[in-house]
Amino acid sequence: MVEKLKPSRVVFNILNYSFMIVFAFLCIIPIWHVTMASLSNPRLLMSASGIIWKPLGEVTFDGYKLVLQTASVLKGYGNTIIYVVWNAVVGTLITVIAGYLVSRKSFKLKNPLMIFILFTMMFSGGLIPSYQVNRALGLINSRWALMIPGIINAFYITMMKSGFEQLPDSYEESAKLDGAGPMTIMFKILAPLVKANIAVIAMFTVVMHWNSWYPASIYLPAARDAWPLQLIMRELLIKNDTATVLIATGDASGVVNYTANLVKYCVVIVGTLPVLMAYPFAQKYFVTGVTLGGVKG
Amino acid sequence: MKKNKPKSNNGWKHDFAINKSLYLLTVPIVVYFIIFCYVPMFGVVMAFQDYKPARGILGSRFVGFKNFATFFGGPNFFTLLRNTFVINALGLFVGFPLTIIFALLLNEIRLKWFKKSVQTISYMPYFVSMVVIAGLIIEFCSTNGVVTNLAVKLLGIQRENLLQNPKYFWTINLLSDIWQGLGYGSIFFISAITAVPTEQYEAAAIDGAGRWKRCLHVTLPGIMPAIVTMLILRCGTMMSVGGDKILLLYNSSIYETADVISTNVQRMGIENMQYGYATAVGLFNSVVGTTLLVISNTLSKKATDIGIV
Repeated sequence: MVEKLKPSRVVFNILNYSFMIVFAFLCIIPIWHVTMASLSNPRLLMSASGIIWKPLGEVTFDGYKLVLQTASVLKGYGNTIIYVVWNAVVGTLITVIAGYLVSRKSFKLKNPLMIFILFTMMFSGGLIPSYQVNRALGLINSRWALMIPGIINAFYITMMKSGFEQLPDSYEESAKLDGAGPMTIMFKILAPLVKANIAVIAMFTVVMHWNSWYPASIYLPAARDAWPLQLIMRELLIKNDTATVLIATGDASGVVNYTANLVKYCVVIVGTLPVLMAYPFAQKYFVTGVTLGGVKG
Repeated sequence: MKKNKPKSNNGWKHDFAINKSLYLLTVPIVVYFIIFCYVPMFGVVMAFQDYKPARGILGSRFVGFKNFATFFGGPNFFTLLRNTFVINALGLFVGFPLTIIFALLLNEIRLKWFKKSVQTISYMPYFVSMVVIAGLIIEFCSTNGVVTNLAVKLLGIQRENLLQNPKYFWTINLLSDIWQGLGYGSIFFISAITAVPTEQYEAAAIDGAGRWKRCLHVTLPGIMPAIVTMLILRCGTMMSVGGDKILLLYNSSIYETADVISTNVQRMGIENMQYGYATAVGLFNSVVGTTLLVISNTLSKKATDIGIV
């Protein structure tokens, strides 16, 4: 059915479509600017101002070559991958187990355990007491500071719980009759049925840890070797301390001055592109995540 | 009729016997939450101590409310409170309604592919890390940056590094928050809009309601529960939001408008090692936050019958 368009409607549509185009444009411009800058001639880039719409001078990959030779950036990349993979695999695994436990009807500890977990969502000790606990455990300046605290998230457990609870009891009962133990029931029979929930949690974990910088800045102040890429980027972009990061490349200082600026843009692209390439495909999981939780904000 | 007495083996012992492996799996999870969540909760005792790491919580001297007195009486108290409040209120009263409006506007777009593309693109800034976003803001707001150029041309302000002038911080922070969060924040409302039954629109159309009227009288009431839920949550997190972005953006010349309670806790506690004081400030922050959550939840339950707790 086609509605007849009133003139006011036409005007509204034009404005609405224009607004959407402008907004989409605004979302893309900054990333476009960085991409084009990363391919530019470093000398021209130094004196450029405004948005860079196309590469200045001839397209060059020198910046990327330099990034690949910069030990600290490569190390940061490696560290980020370690943290992301560890937290996504181990964290999600523990979350699935916890969600399974608090959704077992025949398990007497089910409700006390859930309350015990939910309580931590409402109340927390705050930054300084948590810091002191991690300090007492010897986690300061240790990689484990990013791999143990924060590995499970109470909110994700509630998400897993509701996933398991939606499954009919008959799956578990018939498996039990066949003599399957709880581990087999959980991993072989029930987990594949809540794949979507697991995927949502894993996706959120990956993106969160890929982009995370704050815990590392607090817990790894002196352990440069364990820094994730985001902290290296902070050094380059926020503190503008290109010298320390690039020193290992052994370039003559004059060259570093020119290229340092270029390298900044290349590092941003290298550090951001994986997520930007992946999210359009993983989008549906994020949308379900937001609606499922509804609640997280 | 006589009821069967519950068999004695229905107790914990019996449960443990049949669910042994479940109990075993519970142990590490409980241990984790005790160490990383419950122990820090008891750690707030530090707020009432002159905490010295070498002496620990048990050995440090108790000083009563001295840390709180220092905070409330300090020269920064009102500045911190005002900044925290203003920055969050701007997000609540400007940023939050915009996400709803964006969802409603997107709903009016009939071209499927266009709508889908705009949606996907609008999520993008959310996936860019805060460090990169802050880096871009710093670049764009520098003396010769894009945003500065634009502001000089359009608003006639004086050319300077915008992040060095306390006057501009609230605006910069708000606009960049909107840029980053508009698309992603609207997801929740877009899915709420799709859940509004089509029959209601048809009925309204038969009654002669135009698109604008239908939006006002069908869509908006339909997504009201979603709006209220989000609003309550926003009020609850009011005191804690945004600290990590501000940490990346601010500098000592704009503390006057940019320093909020959570950044102050980080600076005092981690950098200056005033643990007792910073814990007290953090505790104040979470008490106010919880109070706000409870108040907004109660008010909303009274007014609309929607609550989350």
